[in-house]
Amino acid sequence: MMLQIKPILSALRRHKAGAVLIALQTALTLAIVCNALFIIQQRVAHLSAPSGIDEANLLVIENSWADKLSKEDADAQQRADLMVLRRLPGVQDAVASNSYPMRGGGWDQFITLTPDQTTAVGDAAVYLGDEHFMDTLGVKLIAGRNFRPDEIRPIANRENVMPPVTIVTKTLADKLFPDGSALGKPIYAMSNTPTTIIGIVDVLQTQSLADWQMRNAYQSLIWPMRLVGNAYYILRAKPGQLAMLRKEAVKALYAQNRMRVINDDGVMGYAEVRQKAYDSDYGMAVLMGVICVVLLAITAAGIVGLTSFWVGQRRKQIGVRRALGATRGDILGYFMTENLLISVGGAVVGVLLAIAMNLWMVTRFEMHRLSLFYVLAGVLLLLLLGQGAVLAPAIRASRVSPVEATRSV
Amino acid sequence: MLKMTHLSKVYRTEVVETYALRDFNIDVKEGEFVAVTGPSGSGKTTFLTIAGLLETFTGGEYHLDGVEVSNLNDNARSKIRNEKIGFIFQAFNLIPDLNVFDNVEVPLRYRGMKAAERKQRIMDALERVGLASRAKHYPAELSGGQQQRVAIARALAGSPRLLLADEPTGNLDTQMARGVMELLEEIHREGATIVMVTHDPELAARAQRNVHIIDGQVVDLAEDPRFHHAQHTAHTGTPA
Repeated sequence: MMLQIKPILSALRRHKAGAVLIALQTALTLAIVCNALFIIQQRVAHLSAPSGIDEANLLVIENSWADKLSKEDADAQQRADLMVLRRLPGVQDAVASNSYPMRGGGWDQFITLTPDQTTAVGDAAVYLGDEHFMDTLGVKLIAGRNFRPDEIRPIANRENVMPPVTIVTKTLADKLFPDGSALGKPIYAMSNTPTTIIGIVDVLQTQSLADWQMRNAYQSLIWPMRLVGNAYYILRAKPGQLAMLRKEAVKALYAQNRMRVINDDGVMGYAEVRQKAYDSDYGMAVLMGVICVVLLAITAAGIVGLTSFWVGQRRKQIGVRRALGATRGDILGYFMTENLLISVGGAVVGVLLAIAMNLWMVTRFEMHRLSLFYVLAGVLLLLLLGQGAVLAPAIRASRVSPVEATRSV
Repeated sequence: MLKMTHLSKVYRTEVVETYALRDFNIDVKEGEFVAVTGPSGSGKTTFLTIAGLLETFTGGEYHLDGVEVSNLNDNARSKIRNEKIGFIFQAFNLIPDLNVFDNVEVPLRYRGMKAAERKQRIMDALERVGLASRAKHYPAELSGGQQQRVAIARALAGSPRLLLADEPTGNLDTQMARGVMELLEEIHREGATIVMVTHDPELAARAQRNVHIIDGQVVDLAEDPRFHHAQHTAHTGTPA
């Protein structure tokens, strides 16, 4: 088989319309596919971001009191609830909190290193919890200590109190004190009262998964407080006990006090939390995937259609080439090379279009810059698609008999 | 150079077998100019396509330049077509998307020849047919006679051992046909072996030897009653 680039280019110059249309289709597909693959990758990376907690064994129960309770009554009820939950067979530990990772939103605070600092050093998610928080969620303490029971205080919703001590994630600690000296240091959370870092945990994902919050995704802190009133009870089941606990925990809570509301959708394992949290990411990835597949299919169909048309149109010419000594491989190579040249032309335009499209999305939707890898992957994909699509008509062309040369049209 | 012995070609459909060639024998020596004549449907073109390895035959033997070709695979047949045979078709069969230079280059490219040698051969061949100045023209910009000359240049450029011409003047007016015929005669004088299929008796008369085909068989014109029958019908319009 031999390369026939010059005569193929000469012939293509005389069939500009079809070639240009396919090249443009390839270019447009490439531009969209590159960006779509990039978006899919970002969404998949987002989906697979670690939470730092023991998701497999966690259960979240959203508890609301039917009556308006005083802070003291609410605190007493919550203590009683927690005692009931912690005593349940199959429960490893339980805690009450204002929120949980991947909830979709919650408290966050701008953190400064001095009370008069006007620019925040970090933006951190705030979790309230007692000394059971880390054990319940399965968060790993890597420096310092856990809260002591005497440091825990109940607070009501919207009560603005600064705890004297706090536990932070390593990401937040490193952000605030890049030299690694966070332990024991005071920080300020939009208040003049300092809170001292007594512990550092490895990973604890924030509640919000919004794109604009992604750079803060692991900047979390835990305050030694119990949010009394409406709160989330988080239970860590012993391995294999989670399904059983879904019913038993709710039953036990109602048995402790019937004057509460626990909706069916207010009881969730982490599989559901994760699915709900990443619904839009998953949806976007699927949508982009479908767009890619449809576009690639349309482009492939266009290539198959045009090449089949050209093969039919050039049947006699193929016969003449065969009569003059072309092997089947030469004919196959002719159509494959022809498609490759058109695809390369389309890819050049497509790369420029992909970059332009990405730049527009960067400025318009705060997307990330398109990585060169996705451009190259897109080019390779389109070239392979072109070669794959052209294969069947090219094989048909290679089977044209040389005797076709002697037939009158 | 070209020897067919008891060769047959059968076209089969589900219901009928048609013999295009039957017990066909021919022996063309090197350097001969043979005209193959016969009425329409007699098997002339089938003979030519088999001789040019454009299609296979059903039975018998065919030796081309000393090689028995019946067992050759497709690639080997392509190689022989490319290196040993030059084709001249009635409809010229130039590739309309390529200019004259590129058309003549087609068989040379399939031979894997270097660009410099290709160029030299192409220009020599075009000089020989008097069309060197038209190298950049496209077939549609040439007259029928010029297109056939380009086709002859394409056939000659590869220095084939055998030239096969299928009604080479069939699509040309008398003057152009004469020019093409003179070119073929000149090529023959230089030593080429030419087998030309034609139904034009005047053209056939200019060949060194005539072979007549009727009903897929080579016949001796003097002895074959079918020839006399055909001749009588042609002259009187009624069977003898």
